[in-house]
Amino acid sequence: MTGWREPTRLEVTTLGLLLVLALSSTGCASLTPPPGRGMKLHYSHGEAAAPLEPVGPQWLHHGQGLRGSTEGTARGSTLAAHLAFRGALSDVAGTTRRLSGELSKLEKSHWGIAGKGAGLFLPHVGYGQSQLRWMEAELAAATRLADAASEVEDEDMRLALLRLAGPRLEAAMLGSLVLAAWVDVLHLLDVAFKHGYNSLETLFVEMDRWQKMLEPAMTALASQEPGQLKAAAQDMPLLMGHLSGEFNATAQRLHSGLRNIQKVMALAQLVEMVTMVSAMKFSLPRLGPSAPATLGMGMMMGGDGVMMGTRIVVSAEWVEMMRRLVRAGVISLPAVSAAVRIQAGQVLMAEAHDELPHGVREALGDGPEVRGMRVTDRAGAGMAEPPGHHVLPKEFREWFEKRGFTGEMSIDHFCVRLEQAHHQAIHGGGNWKLGRTWPGEWNRMIMETLRKAEARAGRMLTPTEVLGTVAKRMTDYGIQMDFIRWRGP
Amino acid sequence: MSSGRAWQGNVKARLYERVRERGYDSLTAFADARPAVPLHLLAEELGKDDVAGVQVLSGLLAEAERRKQVTRFVRDVFTRLWSQSVPDGWPTVLDDANRFKVAEALGSWIAYTPETHKERADRVSDSLLATPPPPGWRPLGPDDTLLLTLLPDEEA
Repeated sequence: MTGWREPTRLEVTTLGLLLVLALSSTGCASLTPPPGRGMKLHYSHGEAAAPLEPVGPQWLHHGQGLRGSTEGTARGSTLAAHLAFRGALSDVAGTTRRLSGELSKLEKSHWGIAGKGAGLFLPHVGYGQSQLRWMEAELAAATRLADAASEVEDEDMRLALLRLAGPRLEAAMLGSLVLAAWVDVLHLLDVAFKHGYNSLETLFVEMDRWQKMLEPAMTALASQEPGQLKAAAQDMPLLMGHLSGEFNATAQRLHSGLRNIQKVMALAQLVEMVTMVSAMKFSLPRLGPSAPATLGMGMMMGGDGVMMGTRIVVSAEWVEMMRRLVRAGVISLPAVSAAVRIQAGQVLMAEAHDELPHGVREALGDGPEVRGMRVTDRAGAGMAEPPGHHVLPKEFREWFEKRGFTGEMSIDHFCVRLEQAHHQAIHGGGNWKLGRTWPGEWNRMIMETLRKAEARAGRMLTPTEVLGTVAKRMTDYGIQMDFIRWRGP
Repeated sequence: MSSGRAWQGNVKARLYERVRERGYDSLTAFADARPAVPLHLLAEELGKDDVAGVQVLSGLLAEAERRKQVTRFVRDVFTRLWSQSVPDGWPTVLDDANRFKVAEALGSWIAYTPETHKERADRVSDSLLATPPPPGWRPLGPDDTLLLTLLPDEEA
């Protein structure tokens, strides 16, 4: 569940509380299999399909289980991806809940950040809260998509819906890591004020600079633009490195600015304590003469998860969860890699765009087929994407809106990239048609299908029903259920 | 089937080459040997990556047009869509969920039916719902008795 890293002495209470909260509130905990079992369930290419119970003619199984999927994604691995997605969602939701609690406490810290100079520093708490809101919105949208996925019968459509939800989870996951660091900074200030630190102006200027440093990353993450999201993920370890460095410098300065020996002791302890929220702790050299612990230590995949020396960076369970999502194409490897590197606090030693060691990447799901899976995704390379084509015809946007295709389920999210020949063919062009009396034009055909079905059902179709029907017809037209977002006419 | 390859090259030539390779002299003969099997699976058998279900549909229609057996073709398409959407046959209880399955099959069928037969397909759909067939009804071919009654051949 809370698989980020090994709880240190100071975190045990917090983690314990979270564990209790998570177990008692949502019941999501039971969705993530224990590590031992998880390892057995893992995705293995082409053979992960659970044996299907024998009902009906054989082709039915064939049709429902393996149809039209280039990745050989079968029932078993889609289910595994679905469960992993739920697990990851509750993981990130746990983090945002915790951050929300921390921010509320800070907001009321009258002896600290909300006291003297509150007008100067409270907006920074507010900034954190506003960031939290988009993350919560993304998580809610991702949850709704995952819910829709569990209702759809078609395997490919189910996976497609999870893939739609993936970037939202990614954004919230990375955003929560940055926000955790921001909350650490706020804690540092809070502690400093509580101990009578007075030079508000310098701190104010610094806070302003830090916020500006975070801003582009946060905006990119909140934008839901695949290209921006990817770029932000890649830059994030470096950004966190800078932030850690600045944080450390400020902590040092606060340290030497306090003459009273007792206060110095207190601050040294407190700096260690405040960094419990984020991963910055591990990238910070200790205050005082002792050498930084993490420098130059490589990461490796061990039985308990990703290890750095003797410390667990992320748990085996988390790795397994992410591996399933990466293998299913639900979330991207760069995002997961960034999360691991940030968790490792590897930021100080990784000045360049350092990659994770091969073994760790492999454990996280990297492999030739994963790299090949998204070759069409050119966003990361900064290239213009080929135009998307609406599967649910945009001329009938309102019709779909009335049936619940709004927000994260808007028809703009259900677009596909088609080669020109394919696009022309399904819109009535080309010379593929052998029969004369059936036009077979996609838009006309799909609207007629849905309308006639609705007339016979005697009610409006639900989004899940629409998607199920569309999935069947997409398969007939050889249209892959790999959705992209529509951008522009 | 999932890639764009089905739409490259000479679609017709490829389709008939595959049919001949499998020992049939027409697409209709190939399909008749696989009654009530959904179109996308016929396509998959002819070419996993380079034949699409609607191409098979269009090819079957072309042959039916030549043979003046379009009504039979329409019934045949019904069976293939029916077994895809309502695999267990006509539902014992026509509750909301089951009614949708039937509606999906009928809607898809009407949309896949050539212009010449659309109105008839529409009427057949209505009469099926008005006078439901026995539970479990699953026509296994274009010559299913009930289907023949509802949509008899007209061509001479």
